[in-house]
Amino acid sequence: MKASVVITGVSVLHSSVVGGRAALADALWDPGEPAHRHVGALPDGLIDEIEARRLSRVCQLAVAAGRLAVADAGLERGAELGLILGTEFGDFSSTRAFADGFLTTGPAGLSALLFPNTVMNTMAAATTIALAARALSLTLNARTVAGELAVARAATAIAGGRARALIAGGVDHVDSLVAGTLPVLDEPAVDGEGATFLVLESGEEARRRGARVLGEIVGVASRALPARPHGVGRAAAARAIPAALEAAGLRPNAIAWVYDSASGDSARDAWQARLLDGALAPGAPPRASLRPRLGAHAGVGALGVAAGVWTMGAGRLAGGGAVRLGPGLVHGVARGGTEVALVIR
Amino acid sequence: MRRVVVTGLGAVSPFGPGVKAYWDGVRTGTCAIRPVTLIEVTGFRCRIAAEVPEPVPGSPRRSRTDRLALQAAREAADDAGLGPGERSQAGLIVGAVGGGMLEVEPWYWRLGQAGAELRPPRTALRAILPCSHADVVGHALGLGGPRETLVTACSSGAAAIAVAAELITDGVTPVVLAGGADALTRICYMGFNALKLLDPEPCRPFDLERRGMSIGEGAAFLVLEDADHARARGASAYAQLAAHGMTSDAFHVTSPDPDGEGMVRAMRAALAGAGLAPNAVGYCNAHGTGTRQNDRIEARALREVFGAGGLLVSSTKSMIGHTMAAAGALEALATVLALRDDTVPPTATLRTPDPDVPFDCVPGQSRDTALECAISNSFGFGGQNVTLLFRRA
Repeated sequence: MKASVVITGVSVLHSSVVGGRAALADALWDPGEPAHRHVGALPDGLIDEIEARRLSRVCQLAVAAGRLAVADAGLERGAELGLILGTEFGDFSSTRAFADGFLTTGPAGLSALLFPNTVMNTMAAATTIALAARALSLTLNARTVAGELAVARAATAIAGGRARALIAGGVDHVDSLVAGTLPVLDEPAVDGEGATFLVLESGEEARRRGARVLGEIVGVASRALPARPHGVGRAAAARAIPAALEAAGLRPNAIAWVYDSASGDSARDAWQARLLDGALAPGAPPRASLRPRLGAHAGVGALGVAAGVWTMGAGRLAGGGAVRLGPGLVHGVARGGTEVALVIR
Repeated sequence: MRRVVVTGLGAVSPFGPGVKAYWDGVRTGTCAIRPVTLIEVTGFRCRIAAEVPEPVPGSPRRSRTDRLALQAAREAADDAGLGPGERSQAGLIVGAVGGGMLEVEPWYWRLGQAGAELRPPRTALRAILPCSHADVVGHALGLGGPRETLVTACSSGAAAIAVAAELITDGVTPVVLAGGADALTRICYMGFNALKLLDPEPCRPFDLERRGMSIGEGAAFLVLEDADHARARGASAYAQLAAHGMTSDAFHVTSPDPDGEGMVRAMRAALAGAGLAPNAVGYCNAHGTGTRQNDRIEARALREVFGAGGLLVSSTKSMIGHTMAAAGALEALATVLALRDDTVPPTATLRTPDPDVPFDCVPGQSRDTALECAISNSFGFGGQNVTLLFRRA
């Protein structure tokens, strides 16, 4: 990577925990099962009255996460800010509500207000408006790895000098119909909601404005592995991990810990384990996944990157044991073969 | 700085499969907007759209959009002469919006009556997300580089091309297949009806009497390549993608900033990236939807950047409608071919120029003229603005 990419702000909205960097410990360090996988009521001040009335739940989560991340980084909202948002399911609840309007009362029942929410960039639109963020705005859709991919794309944009400050992360609110349908597709049920955004800047920019640096993203890569659509692959050779390590100038044995995307999808989880074993051998750094406790969606994917920041400070994996202090890897792989790796220091 | 060139093109359009059919239709000013056949339109004011003619090749187990995407992407990869070696490292960036919704809608439509008794359509549901297209195309073509799906509403196809160019200039991979795909869906058709943005007659971008847009469907892909890499393997280039600009209005969920400020920034960013003065650009393939508001604001932004009458402007949507996520890619393709052939495609349905649009919008028939550089504008809900700047190869 050309310019150094640093993390200067975090927001977490997961499992009744809402806040900036100070909330990370509460969101992550809970060895027990959470009571639920929903954020709950948003604290006063994060969403104004008009937003509470007009915005869908997932858009409210995105706007709240955006405001928290910008405040956590000590940034001004404004023109030079951009957003890269990952989502796995978009605003499916609004899409259903839009269709239901037609199905119950015909063309007269169609809502012009709901229609924009049927497009997956609606969360980014609401957030950029709330933050007056007028630089780059992208929404990425992917199974399993949308949150990690969004952070990786943002890191690449900062490293390439195409943006000064980007909010990047993931958000999802899993609709009940989606949650109920996935098992029919031989995939584990997912439920819940959540959002995690990080603020990424160049190291130079962060130093210039005196921002506190939480961590540095020193290598990112995404690649496609051979796999049928919706299927898992047979190959045990990761492509993104070696590329990310090379970008970071690190050898595999330098990796001290790993956050992976294991979610209870046994075939995919086993594939990822083979990829990690192969790429990091002979080392076997301790691994953890946030998904079993917090849900499987883009908000949790991005939380893995934020968790890396926390792990480097706490010296332990979320919900797990102590780790060696050193650079770590955030890794995700989706059915269909999209693989992403981020090296954090 | 690495130069990015276009070495392959592929399209499926309302003129049928293939780049030749598309360019022949566009260059001759043929309007492909016809009565809708794919979905029920009873009760709606607008009953026309630009559909891809049947049969759309491919397995019926795949969604219509997956099939459109695969056919266009395969043509582009073959056109570029990408062998297994290039494909194994090639990236794939797909702009998408509707995903496989067309095939899932009938199930959901019946779900209310049948309830839990109605068995979910496994194959269709697996293809419902926009990211399905990338997995289908990437697997079928053996593409092993970065794979991403971008959803930036009606600018998705153009955004995919812009991000693909960045992968090359950043040195991530020397070859990327990029474009967009969308099939007609009930949700989309009903939504634009609900917004009262559809013209019951074929749309007339930049016309004084314009009454809205027409929707369409299709897919287009471009093979973007590092110029040195292309030269080394003996590939010829259609054009250079010299630069791009991507901005956000941060203004309104559906309406563009009335001053067109975000559009202006996108166009100026592209010019700055290419190191060009405005007068170097001879043609703009406009977003040109045919709605009163969009065309007026885009014209205002063009005037701000290029000056009144500063370049030729035309809208491909006058012939193929607004193909959603495919639009930015199909229009980029038209821009590339305009440069290759020194032929500006027309705004086919333009009859009475709007005095608020101070440009020659090439009414009715294509125009032969020497071109060195051209831009393609794409804008979308959420204030998404993308400008691609192409230069003669």
